[in-house]
Amino acid sequence: MTGGLIIAFSASGAKAAKEGPVIIMDQAEGLVIADPTKCVGCRRCELACTEFNDGKASPTIARIKISRNLNFGVNGIPTGQRGGGAWGNGLVIQDICNQCPHPVPCANACPNDAIVVRPPTNARVVDSKRCSGCKMCRRACPWEMMSFDSGTNKATKCFLCDGSPKCVEACPSGALTYAAWRDLTGKIPPRVAPTAIVAPEKAQTCNECHKK
Amino acid sequence: MAKHGGWAGKVLRVDLSTGKISTEDTLEKYRDYLGGTGIGYKVIWDEVQAGVKSFDPANKIVYGVGPLAGTGAPCNGRTAITTLWPTCWPKALVASGHMGGQFAAELKYAGYDAIIIEGRADRPVWLSVWDEKVEIKDARQLWGQGIRRTTIEINQQMGPEASVAAIGQAGENLAPMSVVMNSYSHSAGGVGGVMGSKNLKAIGVRGTGSVRIAGNKEEWEKLIKLHLSLLGANNQHVVPSNPQPWAEHYNAGSRWMASAGRRWGAANPSIDTGACEPHNLNRIAYRTNNAAYFLGDKAWQHTVRGNGCTACPIRCHTMLKVPAVSAKYGIPELGQNTCVGLLFGRAFFKSFPDGPKGQTAIEACMVGMYLADDLGVWDNYGQLQRDFQALYYNGIFKRKVAEKEFNSYSWNKYEQGDPTFLFELLPRIANKEGELATALGLGTGHLLERWGIPEQEWLENHDLLYWKLGHPKHHSNEDAGQCGVIINTQYNRDAQCHSHSNFTRNGLPIEVQKRLAAELWGSPDAVDAVAAFTPMNAHKAKMAKWSLLRKELHDCLSLCNWMGPWVASPLKEREYRGDDSIESLLYSLATGDKKSRQELDTIAERIFLLHRALTIRDMGAKDMRTKHDTIPDWVFTDPKDKAAFSKGTIRMDKEDIKLAMDMFYEEMAWDKETGSPTKATYRRLGLGTVADELAKRGLLP
Amino acid sequence: MERQEEVRANILNIIRDRSESGRLISAEEILTELKRRGLLTSEEIKPKTHLETALKQALQENRDVKEILAPNGVCYYYSVRRLSETYAGILVLKSENPLWLIAEVVRENSKRYPRPVPVAGFMESPFDLTLEAILECLRVMGEDKEYQDIAQTITSVGKTFLYSSRHLDPDYASMLAEWLDVGQADNP
Repeated sequence: MTGGLIIAFSASGAKAAKEGPVIIMDQAEGLVIADPTKCVGCRRCELACTEFNDGKASPTIARIKISRNLNFGVNGIPTGQRGGGAWGNGLVIQDICNQCPHPVPCANACPNDAIVVRPPTNARVVDSKRCSGCKMCRRACPWEMMSFDSGTNKATKCFLCDGSPKCVEACPSGALTYAAWRDLTGKIPPRVAPTAIVAPEKAQTCNECHKK
Repeated sequence: MAKHGGWAGKVLRVDLSTGKISTEDTLEKYRDYLGGTGIGYKVIWDEVQAGVKSFDPANKIVYGVGPLAGTGAPCNGRTAITTLWPTCWPKALVASGHMGGQFAAELKYAGYDAIIIEGRADRPVWLSVWDEKVEIKDARQLWGQGIRRTTIEINQQMGPEASVAAIGQAGENLAPMSVVMNSYSHSAGGVGGVMGSKNLKAIGVRGTGSVRIAGNKEEWEKLIKLHLSLLGANNQHVVPSNPQPWAEHYNAGSRWMASAGRRWGAANPSIDTGACEPHNLNRIAYRTNNAAYFLGDKAWQHTVRGNGCTACPIRCHTMLKVPAVSAKYGIPELGQNTCVGLLFGRAFFKSFPDGPKGQTAIEACMVGMYLADDLGVWDNYGQLQRDFQALYYNGIFKRKVAEKEFNSYSWNKYEQGDPTFLFELLPRIANKEGELATALGLGTGHLLERWGIPEQEWLENHDLLYWKLGHPKHHSNEDAGQCGVIINTQYNRDAQCHSHSNFTRNGLPIEVQKRLAAELWGSPDAVDAVAAFTPMNAHKAKMAKWSLLRKELHDCLSLCNWMGPWVASPLKEREYRGDDSIESLLYSLATGDKKSRQELDTIAERIFLLHRALTIRDMGAKDMRTKHDTIPDWVFTDPKDKAAFSKGTIRMDKEDIKLAMDMFYEEMAWDKETGSPTKATYRRLGLGTVADELAKRGLLP
Repeated sequence: MERQEEVRANILNIIRDRSESGRLISAEEILTELKRRGLLTSEEIKPKTHLETALKQALQENRDVKEILAPNGVCYYYSVRRLSETYAGILVLKSENPLWLIAEVVRENSKRYPRPVPVAGFMESPFDLTLEAILECLRVMGEDKEYQDIAQTITSVGKTFLYSSRHLDPDYASMLAEWLDVGQADNP
């Protein structure tokens, strides 16, 4: 992971009982938005993400995901020409981290409180020191945006490159934009139904705030 | 993790006869040959005896990629496939086909720098490569299916990310004019039948690993940005096709097609390609539209977007949407390809009712792509279609084919430029139905022999562009005078070299080209303006050597020689210089093995020399000058009978070309009389054992 | 003094902005814009002289800023950072009669690259001439002594190219036209 101070909970937002779990309350400042009509399927975004941040070319751990939609679109393999991707209508949907508002599914599912908010963008990032590599976060994200790096045995996700995303800079067709955060969680259809469970201690924290 | 960055570290070897699957350490065994064609030539030299034929089980196929494949280095998407070439006539010699797409990167992520296929399966199989899990699978259900159906079914098993390189019916039926294809539209010609002869329907690759960059990641990022800044449009054309505010130069022949008002009309909503000022790296992908370049303005309204290989910002494949073809021909309204693949269908016809750039021409392209890229038929750089026109209009088909068969084709449709004719022709080529189609599927050399037509007729015909060994010229005297001629003498198929033509066609004024040429090859006289050629000089020989070595280097590193080298750029502040060291800078940082430009060129020379040695060994001849490095007669003629070196002709002069070959052999330190490399040259480049082997066979000069 | 610097900075700004939009600007237009911005207004005695001095200085101090004299005697200004000399040359010719525009572009191309120019190219940006206007120009050129070097050649697919016989002889021009129009695409 890149360097920089990792703040587990910020002054304004993160709610934590004494010694209790981290709950992210702050909203992110920015996010990457994508225009599928402009995507040319070159995957330079995936490569910039991992080469310039991790020193290796590795679409599997890229925090923007193109490859899985490249050929047949988000719905997998079509039977005819009705799908997306190069084999369908040509559209390549870029999968991007929504930098979810509270409650943040990946963070809430983490048994080690390893997904935290990091200024200046307030991106939700993996604190690799705390990450145990259990992959619970991957089961929590409806958009399958959590990656797992088998080289480091840690989870990884989009951290907005601290405000100047490499993927945006790398796109040769200007299909990506770094923009002010807005809530896309209700707009982008989930890829999977999450199967992660919230740990009892966290559930308790939820109930403390959301008293009936 | 491999010791070096760049390489995956392993070469996969699959014996289809025994089912044995094994791996080798890339660097231990192939380090001196980098990757790609380097590994290919090495395997063929070491393991395939002279005299083996293309479709023998003893022939091998090497799918090779290099240390830059799968990285973010621009233009690294090509897989080099080396084998004994089935359309090389009169006997098969070593050659390579090159496919783009996603295959090269996926192979690296799976952990391999190459796949060596040997033997022959006793029933149809496909190879599944899923990271370290490699399996030979039953392909009996896939046999007889087209490339698209095959790919879909393999993707159903391996997931949507897998890259599938498959053959169609043409390859299965051992038509030498057949391809292997991956990622919908990326093919390597000539290889389909060799795969078919091994009962190998396809290779599916899924890789979840990574390619490590050995160097400092900030330095890598800087280098990538430098390289991106030097890119032009497709074929490294560095000026736009019309005057634009930011551009000092423009050229109507440029593939830099983007301009305000030219839109991807079938995108929804449509997208203006607009100004693509070179410093704006977020607009590189709009520069090229090869459909518009080849098919004219009408293609803009049908353009959905550009497509292409992994990591390449130049999208040379154009995705077209032509709704009319769906009802008219019963084919999908979307199609994509580039260059001769795009023109596959159109090129058969002499004319169309609405002209060469009308709607019917576009529809012929759509039908051609639909059929050829599914059946897996190869066109040998357009020679198939040039031959077809000549054989029909000269009445040869009528003479050579039985009347009943001849009349089974709708020749009236053909003459009228009706694309439905392709439905009669292409499936028959793939299925070897009848004499006409079977002969076409053999490739030019074998076709001429089968029908008793002297090759000489083809060698003399200016329009057919035929060169030798069953293959056409590929960027010869029309592009770079003597330098182009030299390059076209060297390979066992069409030369596929673009190092020289990407320079001469870059669109810069001749004075700028000459200034750059002086820096690169020692004198402005290394290049001439097109069709204003001057007599041979040593600098042209230097340029020829440089062109060949860079082509070979690109084929080993996995850089695209259809884009590189990058010695000219669109940047005025650099006085349009590119960077002659970009390959070595990328190689050094990616692998951690620091090599200068000269050191890397020396390795490329070794690899090119091994190709030469293989050609000599398998021909069993050392007199390459007269037996191999031949030049067709049309090169020395002019349609208006203009004299060589007069302005307005690409005609070459026989004595001058003799001198050109002398100078080239000298530059290579080969024997001038025979054109064979000397023992000292083999030794200097680390191929002493190769020289010894050739000496045993009496094949040293 | 401060005022003068402000004027100079604004001049540069105006020129560069105009170039950004792919157009040239005349001194008169610069003056109008300066006045609109509240500079060189009534209290200045000789705004034109003032502008001339400031422009001269701007040209000397900023290598990107260029001056180009149109055939009608008007000087235009632009920044080569955003607008090339070639493009500026086309724009000033465009402001004049199209005969001159076509002839000069054809001559320049024939001399410099060397190559003929497709007639259809003059229908596109930045020339934007109609086919009728182009054909009329070519007809007039045929009768005008000054344009006798402008010649035509037609490719095998029927596209007309223009060249200057001062720099290209007919066979060479026809070969190059064929190469641009047919040859390059047939030899991809």
